[in-house]
Amino acid sequence: MNRSGVLVRLIGLLAIIGIVGTYWMGLVVTPPDVFQGNLVRLVYLHPPVAWVAYLAYGVTSLASIAFLWKRTRNLKWDRLAASSAEVGVLFTGLTLVTGSIWGRPTWGVWWTWDARLTTTALLFLLYLGYLAIRRIPGDRYKVGTRSAVAGLVAFIDVPIVHQSVVWWKTLHQGATVLNPSLSPKIHGEMAWTLLLGFVSFTLLYVWFTIKRYQVASMTDELEDVEVDRMIRERLESDGGVLSGGAPRAESNFVDGGSLK
Amino acid sequence: MNVIQGSDSGSMSAPGIDWKRLDPTGTKRRSNKSIKVVAIVLFFIAGFGFLLFKGLGNALQYFYTAQQAVQMRATLGSSTFRLEGVVVPGTIKTNATGVDFSVRFASAVVPVVEVGVPPQLFQPNVPVVVVGHFAGQVFQSDQIMIKHSSNYVAAHPNRIKNAGGGS
Repeated sequence: MNRSGVLVRLIGLLAIIGIVGTYWMGLVVTPPDVFQGNLVRLVYLHPPVAWVAYLAYGVTSLASIAFLWKRTRNLKWDRLAASSAEVGVLFTGLTLVTGSIWGRPTWGVWWTWDARLTTTALLFLLYLGYLAIRRIPGDRYKVGTRSAVAGLVAFIDVPIVHQSVVWWKTLHQGATVLNPSLSPKIHGEMAWTLLLGFVSFTLLYVWFTIKRYQVASMTDELEDVEVDRMIRERLESDGGVLSGGAPRAESNFVDGGSLK
Repeated sequence: MNVIQGSDSGSMSAPGIDWKRLDPTGTKRRSNKSIKVVAIVLFFIAGFGFLLFKGLGNALQYFYTAQQAVQMRATLGSSTFRLEGVVVPGTIKTNATGVDFSVRFASAVVPVVEVGVPPQLFQPNVPVVVVGHFAGQVFQSDQIMIKHSSNYVAAHPNRIKNAGGGS
């Protein structure tokens, strides 16, 4: 295995160790909250997962800009945008699920149409739409351009989701760490566990995205090989028809031999 | 493929020819595809718009504070809305059908009659959002939601220090 392969494995290993550590810290080491009791333990899972969704869409947007910009236009940016968005959709789904599981015992409801929840649901649908747009067939550069524009349009919702708890009245609480005054409202080992959660899930994101990117590259490569093979086969059979003056079946046989 | 076909027929026939009729498959396929793209884009814009107006329109004015609700009592009438306030200590009375209590925002106090079991975190001094309508002097509610803060504080901050019994 080459050096970058080792690095990717290391990232994956660290992500898994970190997540196991987060679970252990979150479930065993940290104390219950003065108000929420043991329900507070969801704080080590839900915000890091939501953060990864933001991060993934941020990477998709940067890669989309790089693809659209003529000087850096390269299909690898398109592949990165697609891979990151796919991981982002997974984590947005997880955000909605973990949030719902947290909401039921604390708020008393699985779901409510407040601004934070509604804009997050919208975010999920926007990037599902992005992935759907990606599947519309066409030339790779055309698909890439189309997708990059769609990805950038969808990103508009990300700051809206984050600021929704500041701009409007919501049932959802404000941000604990990235709040307007930038003063974390969590301390001690609870804060460290939250930080570990953020780092671990970010590593998991990096690992997933690299793996997905590699699969995307291999898919493209396979497609190219497939197209090359079909062109070659076509040329071979056409060559047989064109170069021989004799009846078709015979010339094919003769030229097939001469080509080798 | 189309280009070759086009130039071939172009060299053989007079200018001003109807290209669409000469090469119907290529043109048709192309317009079909763009119609599909437009349809998909329109579908998502429509979905986006629906969510924005139906969901977000409702979400932006998610609740009225007790103070706003008292001021707007005449216009609100008996319509259903969400009311926010802090549970006033000493007002919680549990009965057979649910729980009675008052919520306060600034100086406005609204008595609430809740039908149903409140969530587990329901307690005095906690901000709540109740869903229901005014019925006379009281707010008739069938759902309580707890609006907890984003502050997290250890319930037993000295637990670890004392656990070992050391200095």
